[in-house]
Amino acid sequence: MVLLEFLGKLLVGVLAMVAIAGWLFLDREQATAVPQRSWQRLREIAPHLSLLVGVLALNRVFRNLGQELSWMLGWNITGLIYTIEGDFVALVQVIATPPLTVFFSFVYLYGYVFLATFPVVAYWLLADADPIQRTLVAYALNYGIGLVFYTLFVAFGPRNLLPNTVQELLYTAYPQSQILTSTVNTNTNAFPSLHTSLSVTVALLARRTRDVYPGWYALSTGLAALVVVSTMYLGIHWATDVVAGALLAVASVRLADRYHDLPRVGELLPERTRVRTAERRND
Amino acid sequence: MPDDPPAERPPVDRIGRRRALGLIGTGVFGLLGGCYGPDGLLDRSVPGEPLSVSIKSLPADADTRALRIARFLAENLTAVGVDATVVPTRRETLMRDVLVNQQFDVYVAPFPERADPDFLRPLFHSRYAETAGWYNPFGFEDGDVDSLLELQRRQRGDQRRQTLATIQEQLSRAQPLSVVAFVDELRALSSSVALGYDANDVHSKLGYLTLSPAELDTRPDQAVRPATETTGTPERTETTRTPERTETSDGTIRMTLTDERALKNLNPLSATARGDGVVTSLLYDSLGQRIDGRVRPWLADSWTWSGELPVDGTLDVSIREDATWHDGTDLDANDVAFTYRFLSDTSMGALEDPVPAPRFSGRASLLTDVEELDNTTVRLAFDSVSRAVAREALTVPVLPAHVWESRASEALAGGIDTEETLTEAVVWANRDPVGSGPLQFRRLQPQERLVLSPFEDHFLADATATHLRPFAGGVAYDGLTFRRAPSSEAAISLIKNGDAEGTGLGIAPSSIPTIGRDPSLNLSVTPTRTFYHVGYNARRPPFDDPAFRRLVARLLDKGYFADEVFEGYGDPAASPLARTDSLAPSLAWEQRDPATPFFGENGRLDTDRARGAFRDAGYQYTDEGELVVT
Repeated sequence: MVLLEFLGKLLVGVLAMVAIAGWLFLDREQATAVPQRSWQRLREIAPHLSLLVGVLALNRVFRNLGQELSWMLGWNITGLIYTIEGDFVALVQVIATPPLTVFFSFVYLYGYVFLATFPVVAYWLLADADPIQRTLVAYALNYGIGLVFYTLFVAFGPRNLLPNTVQELLYTAYPQSQILTSTVNTNTNAFPSLHTSLSVTVALLARRTRDVYPGWYALSTGLAALVVVSTMYLGIHWATDVVAGALLAVASVRLADRYHDLPRVGELLPERTRVRTAERRND
Repeated sequence: MPDDPPAERPPVDRIGRRRALGLIGTGVFGLLGGCYGPDGLLDRSVPGEPLSVSIKSLPADADTRALRIARFLAENLTAVGVDATVVPTRRETLMRDVLVNQQFDVYVAPFPERADPDFLRPLFHSRYAETAGWYNPFGFEDGDVDSLLELQRRQRGDQRRQTLATIQEQLSRAQPLSVVAFVDELRALSSSVALGYDANDVHSKLGYLTLSPAELDTRPDQAVRPATETTGTPERTETTRTPERTETSDGTIRMTLTDERALKNLNPLSATARGDGVVTSLLYDSLGQRIDGRVRPWLADSWTWSGELPVDGTLDVSIREDATWHDGTDLDANDVAFTYRFLSDTSMGALEDPVPAPRFSGRASLLTDVEELDNTTVRLAFDSVSRAVAREALTVPVLPAHVWESRASEALAGGIDTEETLTEAVVWANRDPVGSGPLQFRRLQPQERLVLSPFEDHFLADATATHLRPFAGGVAYDGLTFRRAPSSEAAISLIKNGDAEGTGLGIAPSSIPTIGRDPSLNLSVTPTRTFYHVGYNARRPPFDDPAFRRLVARLLDKGYFADEVFEGYGDPAASPLARTDSLAPSLAWEQRDPATPFFGENGRLDTDRARGAFRDAGYQYTDEGELVVT
C-alpha cells in the first residue's frame, strides 16, 4: 500500500510536470498532427524501443542473480572509494537545511523521473526520427553498461558506510521512498550513479536538439546538475559514483550517436551477451 | 611473546575458487577471478611491511551499531599507524566469510543469544576451529581453555560458576574476540496487536505463538506508560500495551524483517542464513522448549533420567504419539534418532570427514549415542555432562528423516564460493519447509514476503499440561507474514501506513523519536543476551598475537558505544557471559572496562598513549608513523 500510494503520487506529479513542460516547450501544431503519424513513428523506433525494453527486462530478471554473482566475485570497492575521496560527501552536506532537503528529495525523485520521461514525449513529436532513436539507445546503453558494473562491483553508498558523518537525508525524511528504491535496485549498486548517468545523458541529448527545443536544453541542463548534486547531498552516492556516472553518460551518448542505426547495434553490446552467458551457466 | 602460540596455518589456497569461477564462465568473470581475489585489494600482512587490516561488518541499512563500531575501530587503528579499511558486507556473505571460509582479518557482528553458558564450548574449543558455524571462527587454540570448557559442562552450581569464571578470565587475557556490549532490542508494534506470553519479547517462538489481534472495545490502558515517555531515555521500560484498534488485515499479523535472509532461505541448519533463528523455530519443533528459563517437554510428552550424570547417564524421551509432520507423515522415534545423527554428521558417514551441521551440532555433540526403544521412545546417552547442560540437547529442532536423508550428499552448486566440503543439507535453501511446528509454510515470495499459517494438527491445539497452558488452543490469528523492510525507518513507515503490525527484527535507536511521535505505535524494549563483538582471525598475523589483540581491544571505547551508538539501549561488557549469573566477578563492568580499558576518554583516543603501548609491546613504527610487524 505504501508502495502503491507512493508510486501514484510520483506518477501524478511527473505527468503534471510533463504537461507543463509540454505546454511551455512543444509546438502545438506538431502535437496535434501526431495521431496521424503515430504508426509510422512506432515503426521507426520499434527496434530501439525493443532494445530498451529488452535491457530493462534483463535488468529486472538479472538483478537478484547479478547480486549473488556480485557477492561471489566479492569485489567490494566501498572502502576503496572512501580512501579515494574521504569525507567529500559530508562536505556537500554542510549546506543542508530542512527546506533544501525537501527540495533535493523532490529533485531526486520527481525531477529525475521527469527528466527521463520528457525527452521521449518531446522527440516523439519531431519529424526527424533520429533524436528519439538516439535517446532510446542511449537509455538502453546506460542500463546495460550499468548492469555490468553492478555485477562486477559491490559498492555501498556513503550513507551505508558513514552513517554518523553522512546524513541519510532522503530516507529519514521520506522513509517510504526507500521502499520504492529498494524494490527497483539494491543498496550495493552505488557505482556508478545511474541517476547521474541518465540525467547527464538527457542533458547531452538536449544539447543536440537545442535549435528545436532551446528552452528544454536550458531546463534539462539545470535539472541534470541538480540531480547530480542531490545524489550526493542526500548521502546516496559518492562523488566517485557521480564521476563514473557522468563518464557512462558521455560513453552512452557517443555510442548511441554512432550506432543508433539498429541493424548494427547487435555488434555493439558485448555486455549483454556476457551477462546472458553468465546467467545461463549459473542456472 | 604470545603465551599460547597458535598453530601456523598456511594462507588459504585460492585455486578452488578460481576453478569455481571458471565454472561460472570465462569472459569477464573468469578474467577478473584470475586477477583479483576477493581480498585482492587488501594485501595480507607481510613482516617488515606496514600493516593493512580489513574490518568486515554490516552496512548501515542492516546494522548501524556494528558498522559504527567498525568505523570507530578503523579510525583508531589508522591513528596508531595501521591501515584499516571497513568492508561493509551483507549478512549472509559476512557470515559465510567468517563462519565458513575463515576469510577475514577482523569482523564486527552481533553474537546471537544462547541460553546456557555451554555455548562457550563450541565457540572457543580448538576442536571446533575448522567447523562451519558459530564454532570457533577465530581459530583460537588454547589447551587450558579446552579442558576447562570440557570440565564446566559436567559441573554444577558454584563449582561450575568457578570454572566458568576462570574460562572468562583466560578468554579476556587471550582476547580471541572483544565483547563490546549487550544490546536491548527495540521494536515498534502497532496498537492493533497485543502481546501474550512474554510481553518483553515478541520476536521469539513463544512470543509469536501468543501474539494476537487486539481485542474489541479495549480502552487504552492508562496505567501503562506510552512510548513517548521512553523517548531518548536510557532506562528500560516494560512493553507498553494499549490495545485500542481491532483491524488487522483479515486475521493476518504482518511483521517486518530488515534481515531478508529468512525470505530466501529457510534451512534451520544454515549458519549463514540464520541469525536468531526465530522464523525457522516456528516451523520446527524441538523435544524440549525453554519456558520461563527451564527446558520443558514440548514435542516430547515426558522424559525420564536414569544412571548417574555426569558419568554415564541416559534419558528416555517419550515422543507425543499423535505428532505429525506438516506433510501428514507421522513423526516418530526414527526421526528423532535421525536428527541427532544427522546434526553430528550431515553426510551420514558418506564423506571422509564428518560434516557437522553449522547450527545445533554443538548441542548434539553432548550425546554419545541415540537409540530407538520403540516407535515413540528414544534413549539418549550422555557422558560427562550435567543434567542441566544435557537438557540443552533437547532444544535442537527435530527434522523429518524422509526429507533430509536425501540431503546427505556433498554439495556441488553451493560449494562454488567456499573451499570447505559441505553437504547439500548445509547449503540447501529449503524453500518449501516441512516441519512439525505450530506454524506451517504457506507461501514465499523470494526476498519480499513469507507467509505462515497455523498447523491445525499441532499438539498445542489440545494441550493440557500446566506448562503449556499459555499456548494451548493454538494461535489467535489465521496467518503470520514476514515482509521485507529495507531499513528501520522504512519498517516503521510500513506500520504507520497500516501495512504491517510490528517490526520483527530490532530497529535502530535513531528511530525512537519516530515511534514516540505516533500514538498508534508502541515501543518495546527487550534486554537480550545478544552481544556485539569484534572477532579476530588468530590464524593471520598480527592477530595471532594475544598481546596485539589486547591492544586492539583497547582502541574500543565500549562505554561510549553503549551511550552513543546504542543510545543507552545496551550495556558495555567485558565477557560473553556478562548478562548471566555466571559472569566472572573480576570482569564485572563498574564504570570502566575491567580488562581492556580504552586508551582515551569519551570516544577520543589518546594517540600518543596508544602508540606508546604498541611500541612497548615490541611493535615498531616507520618514519612515516606506520606500524610494522617485525
